Amino acid sequence: MITLPDPKPDVLARRDAVIAGLRAAVADAEGVIGDPISLKPYETDGLSAYRQMPLAVALPESTEEVAAIMRFCHANGVRVVPRGAGTSLSGGALPMADAVVVGLMRMNQILDINYADRCATVQAGVTNIGITNAVSDEGFFYAPDPSSQLACMIGGNVNMNSGGAHCLKYGVTANNLLGLKIVTVDGEILDIGGEHLDAAGYDWLGLLTGSEGQLALVTEITVRILRSPEGARAMLAGFASNEIAGACVDSIISSGIIPVALEFMDRPAIHACEAFAHAGYPLDAEAMLIIEVEGSVAEQDDLLARLSAICNRHNPMSLKVSRSVEESLAIWKGRKGAFGAIGRISPDYLCMDGVIPTSKLPDVLRRIQEMSDSYGLKVANIFHAGDGNLHPLIMFDANDPTSFHKAETFGAEILKLCVEVGGCLTGEHGVGVEKRDLMPFQFAEHELEQQRRIKSAFDPDWLLNPSKVFPLRAPAALPRAA
Amino acid sequence: MIPSEAEAAIARQVAAAREPLLVRGAGTKFGMLRPVQAASEITTEGLTGITLYAPKELIISARAGTPLHEIESTLAEHGQHLIAEPPDLSLLLGTAANTQTLGGVVATNLSGPRRVAWGAMRDHVMGIRAVTGRGEVIHSGGRVLKNVTGLDLCKLLTGSHGTLGIITEITLKVLPAPEAVGTIAIPGLNAEQAVAVLSAALGSPYGVSGAAWLPAEAAARLPEPIAAGRSVTLIRIEDFATSVAYRTEKLRGELSAGEILDDTASRTLWRAVRDVRALPTANGDGIWRVSVRPSAGPGVLRAVEGATGYLDWGGGLVWLAGPANETTHRAIEAAARAAAGTWTLMHAPDSLRNAVDVVPPESAPLAAISRRVKGAMDPRGILNPGRIYSGL
Amino acid sequence: MQTNFTESQLADPDTAVANQVLRSCVHCGLCTATCPTFQLLGDELDSPRGRIYLIKDMLETNRPATEEVVLHVDRCLSCLSCMTTCPSGVHYMHLVDHARAYIERTYRRPLAERLIRGVLGWIIPRPRVFRLALAGARLVAPLARLIPGQSMLARRLRAMLALAPANVPGPDPNEGPRLYPASGPRKARVALLAGCAQQVLAPEINAATIRLLTRLGCEVVVAKGAGCCGSLNHHMGQHTPAMTLAWTNIEAWSREIDKDGLDAVVINASGCGTTVKDYGFMFRTEPAANRNKAELISGLAVDITELLTRIGYTPTRPKPGLTVAYHSACSLQHGQQITNEPKALLRKAGFRVVEPAEGHLCCGSAGTYNMLQPDIATRLRTRKLRNIAKTKPDLVAAGNIGCITQLSGDALPVVHTVALLDWMAGGPRPEGVPCVA
Ligand SMILES: Cc1cc2nc3c(=O)[nH]c(=O)nc-3n(C[C@H](O)[C@H](O)[C@H](O)COP(=O)(O)OP(=O)(O)OC[C@H]3O[C@@H](n4cnc5c(N)ncnc54)[C@H](O)[C@@H]3O)c2cc1C
Ligand code: SF4
Ligand code: SF4
Repeated sequence: MITLPDPKPDVLARRDAVIAGLRAAVADAEGVIGDPISLKPYETDGLSAYRQMPLAVALPESTEEVAAIMRFCHANGVRVVPRGAGTSLSGGALPMADAVVVGLMRMNQILDINYADRCATVQAGVTNIGITNAVSDEGFFYAPDPSSQLACMIGGNVNMNSGGAHCLKYGVTANNLLGLKIVTVDGEILDIGGEHLDAAGYDWLGLLTGSEGQLALVTEITVRILRSPEGARAMLAGFASNEIAGACVDSIISSGIIPVALEFMDRPAIHACEAFAHAGYPLDAEAMLIIEVEGSVAEQDDLLARLSAICNRHNPMSLKVSRSVEESLAIWKGRKGAFGAIGRISPDYLCMDGVIPTSKLPDVLRRIQEMSDSYGLKVANIFHAGDGNLHPLIMFDANDPTSFHKAETFGAEILKLCVEVGGCLTGEHGVGVEKRDLMPFQFAEHELEQQRRIKSAFDPDWLLNPSKVFPLRAPAALPRAA
Repeated sequence: MIPSEAEAAIARQVAAAREPLLVRGAGTKFGMLRPVQAASEITTEGLTGITLYAPKELIISARAGTPLHEIESTLAEHGQHLIAEPPDLSLLLGTAANTQTLGGVVATNLSGPRRVAWGAMRDHVMGIRAVTGRGEVIHSGGRVLKNVTGLDLCKLLTGSHGTLGIITEITLKVLPAPEAVGTIAIPGLNAEQAVAVLSAALGSPYGVSGAAWLPAEAAARLPEPIAAGRSVTLIRIEDFATSVAYRTEKLRGELSAGEILDDTASRTLWRAVRDVRALPTANGDGIWRVSVRPSAGPGVLRAVEGATGYLDWGGGLVWLAGPANETTHRAIEAAARAAAGTWTLMHAPDSLRNAVDVVPPESAPLAAISRRVKGAMDPRGILNPGRIYSGL
Repeated sequence: MQTNFTESQLADPDTAVANQVLRSCVHCGLCTATCPTFQLLGDELDSPRGRIYLIKDMLETNRPATEEVVLHVDRCLSCLSCMTTCPSGVHYMHLVDHARAYIERTYRRPLAERLIRGVLGWIIPRPRVFRLALAGARLVAPLARLIPGQSMLARRLRAMLALAPANVPGPDPNEGPRLYPASGPRKARVALLAGCAQQVLAPEINAATIRLLTRLGCEVVVAKGAGCCGSLNHHMGQHTPAMTLAWTNIEAWSREIDKDGLDAVVINASGCGTTVKDYGFMFRTEPAANRNKAELISGLAVDITELLTRIGYTPTRPKPGLTVAYHSACSLQHGQQITNEPKALLRKAGFRVVEPAEGHLCCGSAGTYNMLQPDIATRLRTRKLRNIAKTKPDLVAAGNIGCITQLSGDALPVVHTVALLDWMAGGPRPEGVPCVA
């Protein structure tokens, strides 16, 4: 289990005053929640194994309200946990007993769409898919597509630097941003970047992206929007072993083709997803690749033919090229619904998010299988094969504390393995509270210290999203930056 | 993570330093931003060599002092390339050609025409090692293509001009180099018309990876005589040969203008655009780079009297050359401000570089954050002091 | 996700079901995005995941329902959009139905609210009473403006009066149990759920259904004793009356099965269809004989568009040249997962079919919701009408009387899908529908 620091007793004691202060900052009466029954659903996010009731919840409707909340909290030494849709899988939005959850979900307006300059400015609470929906009539889209894109919000995406199945070609969130409006811990409203590329000076945009709510609250985002390709089509290839599928991935990359998506699933994942999506996944295969290409029909045909030839060199058990938009959609439905599909076969799962050098895949999968056997917990693996991001889904039973404890330890062991083979702890879900204590496996103490100092430069009193990302220790011991 | 001997040596030198240090690679970008007053130099020239290249994993790591061309040719041997297509500005800045180092390119975050479609240098820095102003060797990121573990110091250090740390080693994402390159060249448009065409091209589904406009005097300096005394609008498509043929033809049809240039001509042409060779400069001219939303590019060009320039990135990158004086600079500042964009003084005599804001000054609260971040990385303020902002 | 029920709590079959539903939820939050109330209110508590959590906490602690929980559960439209979205197959409907019954049992609503809910739950399922009430409402409707104040009660009263149609049709001569023989050889024998509110508000829907089905060779029986399906009470947590009404129907149709067999129980109000299809579950704890009967009926229940797809539909009139915006009723698309049939049939009938954006969002009707939660209902209606208007249709088609009432009164005629199908197969042109272009 994860340890949370003791709440500040003085803040707990001033609970009513804090709620009154928030009410003064937020116009709508329903925009501040203080009663324990209503606070309960806010005690957790997409990682429901970790729970902690917050002191209060505030739901601002504008940047100005966010600033007012921050001024109040800053003046009163109250900690703040920013929250988007609460789909974080690392407990990034887990509240603290002495903290106010600031939920950005009411800020869900599209502010501006600028087709000539190919960008859109939206509030933090607009969902990822909401941006694409707003521009799709004109043939545009917002590229990063996390599987949670229906629900997760762009503010959360920015803070987690979320990726998706198509980031091999289009990049992750960081590569698709132009500007931010942020509210600093003391309530200043600042504009970072704008509608142009590569602002001069320090790359605050880059530093804030993926900062997990540690540095500032993000209220508005200017994203790049791209013109959709003429068309896209997927193919499925089933293989007799993880090794063969891995070798096929190598051959594809070596061929000079960069598919827009290159996804790998192992046997348990194939079965779970097929049961949910009925997409015609090869149930007899040990491993499967989803490969997607873009372009005109002729270009798709050409690329798919090249890819089929490559796959054929690796003795696929099955090879299926989608013939229609519906078939492609079904193929993706299975992949994007993968986590939920696991939810159908197991009451609970922990989703790991390590990254490994792709060449290490067969090795790593073998080691994971050994661990799975020794822990007695099933695991299904989904892998962004193009970029090495591995999602082992560990199935367990949350109503059984030993099962949960085992799953946690199992997960930690996988992540350590990822670091050991040259990868990292997290590719897109963030450190959050979940991987906080594993940070020393990836960073030396002086490196963590350096990161902490950057955090202090933005948030000298460590009020923002406490107890996440950095291994705990008394904040008082931190040298205050000048 | 054990520091290499060369890294350790730099770390020791930094830790021991009592006075400001000028951080340098090959020194090709000394003319950018503000001059640094330093007691001594610290160089990455001893840190050379590719330390890891895994073509199948699209990853290359090299020490910061490695000449960029060495990396480019190693990649080319494997049919791969640097995605952001960093320019070699030696001709423009009057420095030695082919000497710039990987560290220099990353520390200045310079990207070429492909930036508009495929991202900047900063987008492809997957891992970084650096010596901080404390004399500590740190790393951020790693040798994999996706990594959100901890704060992204790769991004912070990239483009920080050596003011926060001395970059010692860099890991980049690379991609297969396209099989073919094609260009649609449209002569005779004015800047506004050109940007409208470029906007349509970039907003088309054909994967345009270069979009520039050169007025007549710039076009005349291109290696390919394509416009005959007129301006030229250039649109690039890179992919498999069949795709390039199909897409250039299709797009030209939709734009109903232009001539298609073949692979060889395209490559020469875009190299010149990348290296800013066509910018009409007179001796002693100052050089500026303005970044605005593409539709504002033509306005910036027009607003600066006495300066010449051209547009890249679909109109969003404005290269300007003009008399190296405060009048020109103020005009550029004003034009960039009016378009809510930013400027960078790329080259000018020290007197001008000392006198003006070489990049836009930050608002007071942001400047305070900058100071604290600088303090966090380099508490004694010894790394390239004053290079970006006076007093920092 | 984890739950905390004691053994003895789980001994209660309803709690056991709730536990199962809760366990299948992995708290991923995907459902929040497609929930109409979350869209509008932006509060986790007004999202499916938040409601699930509120309900979980209430049930686990065995606490009588509190004002906070009731507020957010009441705001739920039971549109079941969340169920369509949920990748884990969480049966939210069963959970929220249980929660509503639990609330009704453990929570004392303010007097005015008790009255309103009691009255609605009593009147609407009874066609004759409902007709009288509507006539009365019509009489006093002009007085709606005079109801003062912004209290919830005042707003609800105004909403109810506003919903009363300008002219309530008199009782249809065909109302009441009856047998309609197939024209031509009988291919199938089906029971039609004549329903409650629908036959008062829009008797022409049943008429069109019967015409069309008999023409296609179905013998249609409106069974003696069958009436309201019970969903109205069910959704207000009024468990006993709901079960009584449901049982009456089960008995009535079972008698028909015994008499001459039934190939289907056909329903043309999809809100009712969802409930009839759930009878099997509602009676799961009853003695086997009753449970089996209920399951049999649920198994026979089909939406009219399902039946028409099954038996085959062909138009006889030339293409009307009209564009229909198809409004997918929540009970059809989410409750019964019927999405393609109605559109395919309309296309077959010769209409150009367009689908408004945000098709997954409820129009705000939701049974008695538009009377009980007028503010949210109105915002949803406006949003829906705006999306429909953007498709520039000639008319709107929907498969549920609730939606038809909710969306009527704006610029466009709103008619039942079956009325259009009947028209193109030889029936009369539905009222308000423009002449063939
Ligand atoms: C089923 C499922 C599939 C997923 N698939 C993917 C995937 O494919 N790729 C991927 O990258 N992720 C995935 N995720 C993880 C998750 O959706 C992302 O991390 C997402 O970006 C979180 O967005 P959110 O709006 O839910 O943010 P939250 O979970 O609410 O918050 C995430 C973090 O950001 C902070 N934060 C949120 N908003 C702000 C703001 N406006 N200002 C400052 N800080 C803020 C929070 O404090 C927290 O630390 C998945 C999650 C689920 C449940
Ligand atoms: S039934 Fe509809 S209103 Fe209720 S929680 Fe589900 S989506 Fe929301
Ligand atoms: S989508 Fe399903 S599993 Fe996810 S939170 Fe909603 S109900 Fe639970």
